[in-house]
Amino acid sequence: MAKKVVAIIKLAINAGKANPAPPIGPALGQHGVNIMMFCKEYNARTADQAGMVIPVEISVFEDRSFTFILKTPPASKLIAKAAKIERGSGEPNKKKVGSITRAQLREIAQTKLPDLNANDVEAAMKIVEGTARNMGVTVAD
Amino acid sequence: MSTWWEIQALCDPAAEDLVSWRLEEFGCKGTASERKEFGYLVRGYLPQNQVELLDLSALALRLKQDALCAGVAVPAVQWQIIDEEDWASSWKQYWHPQEIGDRLLINPAWLPIPEQGDRLILQLDPGVAFGTGAHATTQLCLEALEMRIEGPSDIIIADIGCGSGILSIAALLLGAKRAYAVDNDPLTIDATTASRELNGIERDRLIVELGSLDHLTTMIPGPVDGFVCNILAEVIVDLIPGFAAIAKPSTWGVLSGILLDQVKPVADALEANDWIVATLWRRQDWCCLNIRRS
Repeated sequence: MAKKVVAIIKLAINAGKANPAPPIGPALGQHGVNIMMFCKEYNARTADQAGMVIPVEISVFEDRSFTFILKTPPASKLIAKAAKIERGSGEPNKKKVGSITRAQLREIAQTKLPDLNANDVEAAMKIVEGTARNMGVTVAD
Repeated sequence: MSTWWEIQALCDPAAEDLVSWRLEEFGCKGTASERKEFGYLVRGYLPQNQVELLDLSALALRLKQDALCAGVAVPAVQWQIIDEEDWASSWKQYWHPQEIGDRLLINPAWLPIPEQGDRLILQLDPGVAFGTGAHATTQLCLEALEMRIEGPSDIIIADIGCGSGILSIAALLLGAKRAYAVDNDPLTIDATTASRELNGIERDRLIVELGSLDHLTTMIPGPVDGFVCNILAEVIVDLIPGFAAIAKPSTWGVLSGILLDQVKPVADALEANDWIVATLWRRQDWCCLNIRRS
């Protein structure tokens, strides 16, 4: 019989660097998940992607056991990488900090498509473009 | 005890990525989000002394502007102070004494020692260090040690990446004479020292110091009889060329923390350095290699 899922938690954390500090400790501790066990599993599976944020979706079952799947890096990180910037703008409406091409936008949208609430790449591009706009990154046609 | 701000934003699914990004820009090291009936609850955390209430109000305003700019519903934002203790220990209530192999029983330090049976009781309070006995990789190592150490003996072992010290202490309880343990995380040195005291192990039987394999070679008086290394495949591959410095022809090794699809590069590195895999034990997706000199 399939075990009942009591929570689905997504964490955006650095590859190979999981530890019991927030956000992992509070997010998993409240569901009785063995935090160290999760950290070891996550670090093992992401060690070869050091330097990237690799989100993870964890399903917690009623017996406190869990499974997880790794997701694609956040759109903001992919945009920052494409625009060759460290971080977004504090005032995106006034101060632009970089730009990406529409081809780069499409590539990011395609990468993110499996994890976005979008039916096709065009819809994904709109979501990613919204994130870029909020970061102060323009999309050049 | 440390205290943290927990910032919560209940948002539209389409805004989840955006909210996470904004929290990270604000200084949160990573975020957690949980699916709820009406969207996603995104949480970020910051040490309490790093931000003021005014900063949090400004953050709420930014999140509102982000949502309006992206054309999605404005998230509901709130914050509260939480104690570190709340989450660091909450999972422990689900941790119970656990029998491993034929001779060991791992007992959480916060529970009474079980009525005496015929098992060796290993008391453990893992804190933030790895090695609770609940993970397949640790269990495989413990079972391998049980096979290698059958009773009181002159066996001297090395523990590379000792974590909570669980493997060193198990080896000593099983009958090893002395253990030399190293780890490059300072927290684990405290954890192993605490585990040593918790189990009534004499200081000169378990020597633990900060460092890796290089440092271990300066700690041991000569080659060891066996060693355990429960870390990760990538790290183990890097360490393999150095194993010879602590080994003699009869030295055995127990390598764990290796996923099944990572076995080949580890085995190749072993072969290139005159080690052979005597047995491979598997549990779930993990495996443990029992190795000896070729």
